[in-house]
Amino acid sequence: MNPAIGYSALILVSLTTTIIGFYGLRISRTTSDFYVASRTVRPWWNASAIGGEYLSAASFLGIAGLIVVSGIDALWFPIGYTAGYLMLLFFVAAPLRRSGAYTIPDFAQARLESTTARSITSLLVVVVGWFYIVPQLHGAALTIRTTTGLPSWVGAGVVVVIVCLTVVTGGMRSITFVQAFQFWLKLTALAVPAVFMLLVVTGDPDAAPAVPAAVELFPPADPFTGGSTYQTLSLMIALLFGTLGLPHVLVRFYTNPDGTAARRTTLIVLGLLSVFYLFPTIYGVLGRAYLPELAAAGYPDATVLLLPGRLIGGVGGDMLSALVVAGAFAAFLSTTSGLVVSLAGVISQDVMGGSVRGFRIAAVFAAVVPFGVAMMTDSLALAGSVGLVFAFTASTICPLLLLGIWWRGLTDAGAIAGMLTGGVLCGTAILAGAQIGADSPWRDMLTQPAAWTVPAAFLVTIIVSKATPHRRSSTVARFMSKLHVPERPLAVDNPRK
Amino acid sequence: MSIGPSRPPAHGRVRVASPRSQVHRATSGVSVSQEVAEQTAVGEVMVRSLIRSQLRLALVVSAGFIASMLLCWIAVRWVPAVADWRIMGIPAPWIVLGVGVYPIIVACAWLYVRAATKNEAAYRDLVDEK
Repeated sequence: MNPAIGYSALILVSLTTTIIGFYGLRISRTTSDFYVASRTVRPWWNASAIGGEYLSAASFLGIAGLIVVSGIDALWFPIGYTAGYLMLLFFVAAPLRRSGAYTIPDFAQARLESTTARSITSLLVVVVGWFYIVPQLHGAALTIRTTTGLPSWVGAGVVVVIVCLTVVTGGMRSITFVQAFQFWLKLTALAVPAVFMLLVVTGDPDAAPAVPAAVELFPPADPFTGGSTYQTLSLMIALLFGTLGLPHVLVRFYTNPDGTAARRTTLIVLGLLSVFYLFPTIYGVLGRAYLPELAAAGYPDATVLLLPGRLIGGVGGDMLSALVVAGAFAAFLSTTSGLVVSLAGVISQDVMGGSVRGFRIAAVFAAVVPFGVAMMTDSLALAGSVGLVFAFTASTICPLLLLGIWWRGLTDAGAIAGMLTGGVLCGTAILAGAQIGADSPWRDMLTQPAAWTVPAAFLVTIIVSKATPHRRSSTVARFMSKLHVPERPLAVDNPRK
Repeated sequence: MSIGPSRPPAHGRVRVASPRSQVHRATSGVSVSQEVAEQTAVGEVMVRSLIRSQLRLALVVSAGFIASMLLCWIAVRWVPAVADWRIMGIPAPWIVLGVGVYPIIVACAWLYVRAATKNEAAYRDLVDEK
């Protein structure tokens, strides 16, 4: 690919991101502005921003790459990513908004009245955030290497620098505008080239590049085995219950004015995600036909980046390639900045006393550590490594949130025991799964641990809570009604105004 | 806006500090009748029943959604008629999993939002009647 395409796309995205970031700066004045945009972002803005933040490297590049490698089974990934939001809507969105907490550790403390539970939650949130940022930086490294030929660290470094600049200067308000813009950029960047490529492929058979004869475009699912059934099931559990606990997703709900708006926002997000996820499938199927050599070379995740240039030649192909590369960078930037904002919120409140200065220092800290990890590790398949992060959140933060919102019996001891059990089991499984041989009978269990670590975490949380009823928070009744009782609509006849 | 916690209070003044919780106390927007409802035994019962009906709704809709996903999965994997069926050259399993699932998701979400809002309206009416 012509390196000029990569450079121009990168500069374009970086410039627009910083411009919108600085535009938002003018409105952000107080601590509350910095953390949650003063909770006055409209549902459509907020939904676009949530979509922009959520659609990461795994969605933009990873799904198509996985379809190239493993065919129809990969379609469960986007289904799970979307359905995770459905579970979030059902069980978490409105109550969490009403809880009035800024971050998940705030929620833990308010619900359980325990600073120990708060500290452990903070620690887990930071771990989850860091391990979610690492695949984004791997994606950026891959994109820069493929499109410009520059070394890997440049891509990851550019992302870290831009994210730190926008977050440190603008906080969340400008992040909301940046994220919302980046959702529409990502959607356009996948949709427009996809339409052109489909026109080329289905149009004049002489003009379209020939499909290599040996490739089956739509391979049927692999023959049924117990292992593949377990894998699909476990993946779905991880994705359904993991989304609930993602720190950058949760912090977004606090920018809704009330619980009802939080629900409406989630409904719009589901619509936006459903439209977006039609396109990675098209890229994956076309990639199987026209770029099968990428999978053999070990870079299936580059499919989305290279496909427009392969199918459409000339200036048109170059422009479409630039668009796709810009979209990919928007994906890395938006997810990373969302994560950095939420991590900085947690770190600055717990370590630095919650000032704006502390927030800025924490933001830089939150971005630099995963950069180091990304430079020391090799890129796995993007969709797969993000899937493991979902398994980890599903086994740690999800039990705390679900039981905390819906069950009065949850105690601080139960929540702590459950989070530690889930964290240790899932963490060990992920580490062991990376080392284990391909023919070991434990391989499926360790590489997709959610199916047994999530129930284990829930079970331990419930058993320990039942055994320690005297530790129930004294304010639980009041807190529960705060979570579930609808806010007063902003009526003029409210006697207290 | 940091409120410099290290600075000593001026002479003769009393510092009024909040607990270390960052939780924003949302008191505005709560009506008197609502507060009464929360603090009396009857109010407690009403809140419990609201929570129970919201939980039941969430469980029913998510069970319906999971059942429909299982149906899709079984149809795609184990029903040869579906696996072999092609629509405009594209095998039906790809269409089901790549496109058809998403309207189901959005429909479930829409149904849930409608019903949950209705539950809350019913609660509000009940409280205001009292």
